[in-house]
Amino acid sequence: MKEKEQIFFEKFKDKFTKIIKKKKRNYFNVKNKDLIEIADYLFNTMKCRLSICTATEVYDGLEVLYHFTDDTTGTYYNPRVKTSLKNPEINSITPIIEGANWIEREMYDLFGIKFKGHQDLKKLLTINSPEFSEDDHPMRFKRNQKVKVKSQK
Amino acid sequence: MSKCRIPLGPFHPLLEEAEFFNIKVEGEKVVDIEMETGWMHRGHEKISETKTFTQSIFLVERICGICSTSHPFACVNAIEDIDNIEIPERAKYIRVLIGELERIHSHLLWVCLAGHFIGYDTLWMWAWKYREPILQLSEMITGNRNHYAMMRVGGVGRDFDNSLIPKIIPVLDMIEKKMVMLAGAANDDPVLRSRLKGVGVLTKEDAINYCANGPTARASGVDIDVRRDDPTAYEVVDVKVIVTPNGDVYDKLVVRVLEIIESCHIIKQCLKAFEKVQGPIINKVKEISPGEGIGRYEAPRGEVFHYIRSDGSNRPLRHKVRAPSFSNIPTYKASCVGIPLADALITLASVDPCYCCTERSIKAFDINGKKIEHNLLHLSRKKTERLQRELIPKEKSLIDGIFDLSLSR
Repeated sequence: MKEKEQIFFEKFKDKFTKIIKKKKRNYFNVKNKDLIEIADYLFNTMKCRLSICTATEVYDGLEVLYHFTDDTTGTYYNPRVKTSLKNPEINSITPIIEGANWIEREMYDLFGIKFKGHQDLKKLLTINSPEFSEDDHPMRFKRNQKVKVKSQK
Repeated sequence: MSKCRIPLGPFHPLLEEAEFFNIKVEGEKVVDIEMETGWMHRGHEKISETKTFTQSIFLVERICGICSTSHPFACVNAIEDIDNIEIPERAKYIRVLIGELERIHSHLLWVCLAGHFIGYDTLWMWAWKYREPILQLSEMITGNRNHYAMMRVGGVGRDFDNSLIPKIIPVLDMIEKKMVMLAGAANDDPVLRSRLKGVGVLTKEDAINYCANGPTARASGVDIDVRRDDPTAYEVVDVKVIVTPNGDVYDKLVVRVLEIIESCHIIKQCLKAFEKVQGPIINKVKEISPGEGIGRYEAPRGEVFHYIRSDGSNRPLRHKVRAPSFSNIPTYKASCVGIPLADALITLASVDPCYCCTERSIKAFDINGKKIEHNLLHLSRKKTERLQRELIPKEKSLIDGIFDLSLSR
């Protein structure tokens, strides 16, 4: 079981930066152009399951952490992809993994990250809410807040 | 064949979060299904960033009313994962005990609602009757029937009273016996079998491709269970993972019924251990260092996932929550297409989204907006009645004759 992990890290060692290894948890940074190849290897060759992705806004941009879990060992592989604050765009992995469809739609909704190659990229959670317009992404720190004025009777 | 569109929701009993299903049918057959969500978005992740770590635990407990201990369980796992905090052994057993009691009553809830949807209200009443003692046990152990508030970072908040053991064991024996009876009834009854067997099949490939988890995946032959694969408290007990190969609604029922029996076994292991394992129930945690942690727990519906990033202060910088239904609900697309409309209801319900009230907002309209059909529950029940007529030829007994006589008067 350990071998699978070692083969993976040796195969892609040029493409990973800032590897953090903890007990059963591996975090590493990857570039946007390598993401599809790595996701494909994790999902189809190593038979990992995509639990969820976490988008976070940090001081110098947005980052997306993909949580792939290997259920035979209980190990998490977390590739981290960074993108800019102004025009956030990341390659979509939905063509490879059908389960990423809603996950990417949720991140587009809450953070405004555009996923290149997603067939049906629209809002998921605030799609029918009158409070949020199409460009309004509620989890961003500086968002275009609409000021609602209640009419006083 | 005329096509028509059936709106299901947005405020609908089948759905954990209020969602909108747009079912397209051709005659009786479902040809396409689309989903929209977003009526129940409460912003827990954003609120959690303004709360301290301890307050976050009680916040996430309010996400779900049925499996209320699963979110705090995963949340404390995530916080403990940042610093690799160890918890005392007695606390591990208490966590397992609460988690398994909850699994029993949550699965019983699914069984009774599944019975209700196919027109077996007797099954509903039975399951409800057996669920009540479990809730009373929860109240004895934690002080609450639901929302137990037991989880703390580093342990649990309340000790288990060893004198309760003689009261718990008879209830578990009763549940186990009744579940064997229920499994036998499901196996013997030809109507129940033909309503559930081969209905709404989710193949193994689809389950893997849609990243399904929990009983939904296990019924399709995917051998995953967080309790065994990545245990954080469950390493102290033996867990047998139940996997069935077919992926239909019948297998989902079998998995859940067998898991109830397995949960009883796990609780008995805990009760045995409580007599030997004494000692503290919580390790005091003063501060959380900067870093990130992943915690997960096998809730009754599947894998609950929590990710917490800390910057060294007393509140999380980012708190990501993923409930199991988020991964399981999109599998409708694979399992519902091509089946008769009368089976759509039980297939939609088979992944166990939470239900609240019943059949209020299902209406069928044709393309001009005219109401044309009864609701899905009615359709589903009519099919069961028809099968009852076909499969069990009625032999009139003496007592039936009396009933007919009284009706004709």
